[in-house]
Amino acid sequence: MTAPFATQTSQARAGEWFVLYGLSVLGALLLSALLVEATDGDWRPVVNALLDGSVRGKGRWGETLGAAGPLLIVALGTVISGRAGLVNIGQEGQLFVGAAFATYLGFVIGGPGPLNVVLILFFGATGGALWAGIAALLRYWRGVPEVLSTLLLVTVGAQLVAYGLRYDWLLLAPEGDRGNRNQVSEQLADDNRLPRPDLFGNEFPITVYIAISLAVVVSIVMARSVWGFRIRMLGRNPRVAQVSGVSGTHYGATALMLSGGFAGLAGACMLTGGAFAFGNYQLVPGFSANIGWTGLLVALVAREKALIAIPIAFVFAGLRTGSSFVGSTGVEGRVTDVIQGLLVLALLVPPAVMFFRDRHRARVAAMGRV
Amino acid sequence: MTGEEFVSAGAGEALASPAPAVRLSGITKRFGSVVACDEVDLALERGRIHGILGENGAGKSTLMKILIGLVLPDAGSISIDGVHQQIHDPLVAADLGIGMVHQHFSLVEPLTVWENVTLGEVGRLDPESVRNRVGEIAEQYGLVIDPDARVGDLTAGLRQRVEIIKCLRRDPSIVIFDEPTSVLTPEESVQLFDSLRNVVAAEGRTVVLVSHKLDEVLHATDDIAIMRQGSVVDRQSAAETDAPSLARAMVGREVSLRSERAALGLLDDELAAARMNQATMNRADPILRVRNVSASGAGGVTLLNDLSLDLAPGEIVGIAGVEGNGQRHLSDLLSSLLPLAEGSVEMNGQTIPTGRSGAMARAGIAVIPEDRHDSGIVLEMTVAENLVLFDQSRVARHRMLDRGELDNFAREVIKKFSIACTGPDAPMWALSGGNQQRVVLARELAKRPQVLVAAQPTRGLDVGAIEYMGERLEEAAGDGVGVLLISSELEEILDLSHRILVMHSGRVAGEMGRADVDIERLGLLMGGAVA
Ligand SMILES: Nc1ncnc2c1ncn2[C@@H]1O[C@H](COP(=O)(O)OP(=O)(O)OP(=O)(O)O)[C@@H](O)[C@H]1O
Ligand SMILES: [Mg+2]
Repeated sequence: MTAPFATQTSQARAGEWFVLYGLSVLGALLLSALLVEATDGDWRPVVNALLDGSVRGKGRWGETLGAAGPLLIVALGTVISGRAGLVNIGQEGQLFVGAAFATYLGFVIGGPGPLNVVLILFFGATGGALWAGIAALLRYWRGVPEVLSTLLLVTVGAQLVAYGLRYDWLLLAPEGDRGNRNQVSEQLADDNRLPRPDLFGNEFPITVYIAISLAVVVSIVMARSVWGFRIRMLGRNPRVAQVSGVSGTHYGATALMLSGGFAGLAGACMLTGGAFAFGNYQLVPGFSANIGWTGLLVALVAREKALIAIPIAFVFAGLRTGSSFVGSTGVEGRVTDVIQGLLVLALLVPPAVMFFRDRHRARVAAMGRV
Repeated sequence: MTGEEFVSAGAGEALASPAPAVRLSGITKRFGSVVACDEVDLALERGRIHGILGENGAGKSTLMKILIGLVLPDAGSISIDGVHQQIHDPLVAADLGIGMVHQHFSLVEPLTVWENVTLGEVGRLDPESVRNRVGEIAEQYGLVIDPDARVGDLTAGLRQRVEIIKCLRRDPSIVIFDEPTSVLTPEESVQLFDSLRNVVAAEGRTVVLVSHKLDEVLHATDDIAIMRQGSVVDRQSAAETDAPSLARAMVGREVSLRSERAALGLLDDELAAARMNQATMNRADPILRVRNVSASGAGGVTLLNDLSLDLAPGEIVGIAGVEGNGQRHLSDLLSSLLPLAEGSVEMNGQTIPTGRSGAMARAGIAVIPEDRHDSGIVLEMTVAENLVLFDQSRVARHRMLDRGELDNFAREVIKKFSIACTGPDAPMWALSGGNQQRVVLARELAKRPQVLVAAQPTRGLDVGAIEYMGERLEEAAGDGVGVLLISSELEEILDLSHRILVMHSGRVAGEMGRADVDIERLGLLMGGAVA
């Protein structure tokens, strides 16, 4: 059966996408409003709070952009492994381990100077890549599916970093520098941080620019380079790749490690870029703050297109910063969580609907029901 | 041409004589600049078997997909038994009793035969009754199969049986077969259509057969519609026509003896003898040596059993044999897809590691695989990309693909091999089956290989393209390429090979030169009778 569902015109399909997104976001908003009303709240201030928190408030869109940067970087890595036909869902762990690597080596090798920032970012990427490399090793040496191993490595990674944060020969800050906290790394020196230029009264780290440039690079590499070509071949038809000399082990492991590397880089960017939510230039337990998971969602919604991931990352970042304000309206915290979940779902529903519809059509045809 | 007559047939007439089972009027479907169907008018009567012939890309599959709701037409209407119907979904077609066996397989390999047959069904499953039903159909139509076999272990021929059983199980009153017999033996096809003919006559069903085999269409069908470039250009009655006039109507010109021969399965002994002389003269040192290779698959099944063969440059060696005797694994071996347990493969005296990604291709072995969707093409990539899957060096600069260069290269190949598509950027899945096969052929020849393995290379090709494929294989041999022609069609092998090996149970059971072919002995060898 050759993709029977792809017979519609692309225009009709674009229209369907548009309608689907409109409907599902509207649906999520309606449900959220109902929920707020049902819990004795008022939906209008909630909407206002969402907008204030994400873009309208003073300095808020800077905050949103600050979150969008790492989200996008994580998503880009996911795009690469996804194109190679691999399901990496361990970005949260790769990000955290990458950040820990960056912290440790940043201080061991570290010295003052902007050059060290570049080194720290590099170490972050290396740490994430190595962490994903374990999954790659398991997959190509022992045949363990990467879906499982990457996921399990999230937990292992978190434990490992937590362990490191307990000993001052590892990550823990020396006695005098940690105040009354007992699991915190030293704070990065001023000249070891990413610049946070001010734009129209909004301040955010240059991570956003790095991320957008990377999106362009990834998009070009996947579409135009010989390497990207081979990765796509491997993802779409591994047997053809095997015949043609594109070794699954070699290219697959590279893609998986790159994916982890991007997550690790995102972690290092969060460390050096600073934002209070991300630990204020220091490593703490829970530092990864769900950026890995959300970045994975961004890649899913963008359906493995690097450039489409840019706006999607901004939307998800906005949801994140916006919902942090909703609490102040007196709506219960858990309700805000549900609202955020509903909105994320709304973004995931259309691709799912299209996927299932297409698959249904293909299956109905394929299974001989016709 | 009877188009007008069908258009003018109004409701009044429909009352007078029973309406045809299917009436397509003015069906038009465009894909970008390609008009796949161009105002097609066609009536399919009950109680008859209808043949549809046409070159690759003529629009046969598209027309059939419109009838079962997989493709929505741009214009035109469909009525079933005189009632206008909007078939916008395969489920609607199913409710109307229309069933189709598709050109390409859609089976789930890890599942068993009976599981595949019931896939997509809702409600409670009764394995026993499904197995019985499979048995009944198998008997009735001569499609014997083990309901508990794993589909992944089956040969293409047996998989085709599963597809057919899957369709027939629902007793559709209108059955469409899109090139179902390209992997069935002629005997199987005769038996299938003889039994279908009985049912069709007795129960007033309608059968449509799309095929490239002229003799089969002549044999099996009653009415034949011929399509060219999206239109039905001619209709003939099977009883009153013959292969040459069908071929002429299809291609729009006189077809040379050769393709007729291929299409009809006739042999030309003089020609073969002449070729044989030339071949014995050319016999040089072997370029490819396969030495005592053995391999086993999942669960310890023997795939190849101490198989050895030599191939000299410039010779065409035919591998004959009943499908499922290791031919597929031999071709997998030479595609780096099968690691060996024992034995070796040598090219020019060098041992090639088996099962290592791309090793065979780098050593100069090109393969046209038996199942193009499995290891021949990447459906989701473009035609241009599919042409450079193995070697991107000619279209790359500094490790980046040069789009312009790729485009030019693809345009050239598309023209040279007359591949019907909207252009280099057309996705591979949008090509008709025969045109996908041409892409594979073009790419493998462009590798300038030393050895060319062609497994069922003419599967899905129209008569003109079969002729072309034969010429290319001979031309390659003429240029010193060693050609290994694996085919389950004896005619094809007899037509092209210089030397014939027969495979049975994963090994070479016997060998003979083209000159001393003894058809009877060949048959015995294929059946495993002679040691
Ligand atoms: N989904 C599609 N998108 C774009 N073009 C298509 C699509 N499906 C078919 N085509 C084009 O329409 C034409 C007719 O294709 P079709 O598959 O109907 O041919 P066919 O007669 O079945 O040929 P074959 O004998 O090779 O199977 C071809 O040129 C093909 O490239
Ligand atoms: Mg077809």
